[in-house]
Amino acid sequence: MALADVTTAFLRRVRPTGPAVFNLQSTCRYASSNTSPADAADLSSSPFQDSSACTPSEKITAFDPAARARALRKRGGRLPPSRYQYRPPRYDRGPLHPHQPPPPSDPASRLFEAGPFSLPRLEQTYHDTLASDFMTLSYTHFPPGESAHQKGARLRPWEGESPYYANRALRGPRGGDVLRLLRKPITFNNIPQLQGITVHSMVKGAVEDSAHLHVAGMVLQAITNVRAEAHATRKAVAAFGVRKDQHVSVTCDLKGEDMYHFLSKCVDVVLPKIKDWKGVKGSSGDSSGNIAFGLTSEDVALFPEIEVNYDMYPPKMIPGCHVIVHTTARDDRDARLLLSQIGLPFYGKFIN
Amino acid sequence: MAGMKAPSTALLRAFSPLWRPQALPWTARGCVLQQQQAAPFSSTQRMEKKGRGAKTDMRITLIRYHLQHPLTPRPLRFSRTRALRHWTIHRAWRLYQRKLAEKRTLELERQYNSMAEACEALRLIDSNGLNAQDRERLGVPEPEMTGAKSDKDTGRLYRIAMRKDGIFNGAPIEYAKIQTETPSKDGWNHGWTK
Repeated sequence: MALADVTTAFLRRVRPTGPAVFNLQSTCRYASSNTSPADAADLSSSPFQDSSACTPSEKITAFDPAARARALRKRGGRLPPSRYQYRPPRYDRGPLHPHQPPPPSDPASRLFEAGPFSLPRLEQTYHDTLASDFMTLSYTHFPPGESAHQKGARLRPWEGESPYYANRALRGPRGGDVLRLLRKPITFNNIPQLQGITVHSMVKGAVEDSAHLHVAGMVLQAITNVRAEAHATRKAVAAFGVRKDQHVSVTCDLKGEDMYHFLSKCVDVVLPKIKDWKGVKGSSGDSSGNIAFGLTSEDVALFPEIEVNYDMYPPKMIPGCHVIVHTTARDDRDARLLLSQIGLPFYGKFIN
Repeated sequence: MAGMKAPSTALLRAFSPLWRPQALPWTARGCVLQQQQAAPFSSTQRMEKKGRGAKTDMRITLIRYHLQHPLTPRPLRFSRTRALRHWTIHRAWRLYQRKLAEKRTLELERQYNSMAEACEALRLIDSNGLNAQDRERLGVPEPEMTGAKSDKDTGRLYRIAMRKDGIFNGAPIEYAKIQTETPSKDGWNHGWTK
């Protein structure tokens, strides 16, 4: 790590070596313990022992970096080079390899991302109002001694005469293969919040002409502030005229700041301008707290980033897209309540 | 006249589209190879091809250029002082975020606990607002002794408070407004004169 070098160099400088500092050490070290100085002489010096008995004020008066630097220069010593001499490894070779990449917070890391650059209003609103209101709305009271109903084991063992039932893998859940998420009562530490947004666009025209895909990528990039990623088809589908490994879709994964900005842009600017928009369909959602809605190409053209520079894109190639809002809710009902608090209206029959 | 200098072309070079410097900026270095002609010797085939096919929209060409050219700079390299400065600021920012999150959680916990206390109090009171201890202290007879109706009244408000009718139909749209500093509550100063 880059800073490790710097810190060791710094520690080397701080560690007292001169005679004046040594006197101070010998007076104040071991002052509070009964160890004899003879024992102490046997031990090797360590920076952790030095600070044991010194009071902070003594340390401050003894701290003279200028004098130490002067002494160092007189001895012919040099400070560690100031120029950056560390190169992060190109490949992560696992946790046991001696050459480790720096943490992503280090600017030398290849994963480093600067920011955050703003404090989104939606985030502030969530923490100031929406979270506590959600908690109040969905509060369920359990009198002392009672608790929420605990579901039984959902994966059942095989019971019967057959010898094949011994040590067999557990039976799947009742009523299907899907093991649904469990919802616990909402308390102060599991209030649902936004986790991420995926903006996805499958471009049909990209089968014929890659220009559609490129324009779609540029449009998504413009409206989401995230680099668009193209995806290849996994299987050939004759009905859609798609072969395997053709690039026909682009996605953007939004997190944090970008996510809040995108959602508040949708709610405040784009969705109100759509003609005859009823809202998000009540049956939308994957029953584990992720809710999706779609935007047509006319709606995408309403985004302010597209609107100001509308002539930049060939108008027939502006794509429609799906917006998938991931929340930490365990349940579509909670996710819908959260999104309706944020300002996404829902219509129709609500299905969890 | 002899000492007169030729006029400088610096401004022209900087701003005129006719004076293009030959070298591309370093950010466009990746595109140089892509822009090179594929045909090394003769351009006849290319010209023929050009005449045949439909011409690509200039906007698409531009979009492709800007999608492909490498804008990502190399990782930042800091000197010792700057690295330390960055590290300090980063640690301070993380500490601040942590404290903020703790403060928010504590505030929510406080609200949750007071909600629970209020509901518990509501659950235990009867129609007179007295719970068992109050009745004992004041010498009020127990509701079972007086009649079956008052037993039903115990915790009535609690049961009403626990109803979740229409709560999950969503918040009203007037509520769902992202808080802003502007426009202000009064919005327009009607009394303003020059």
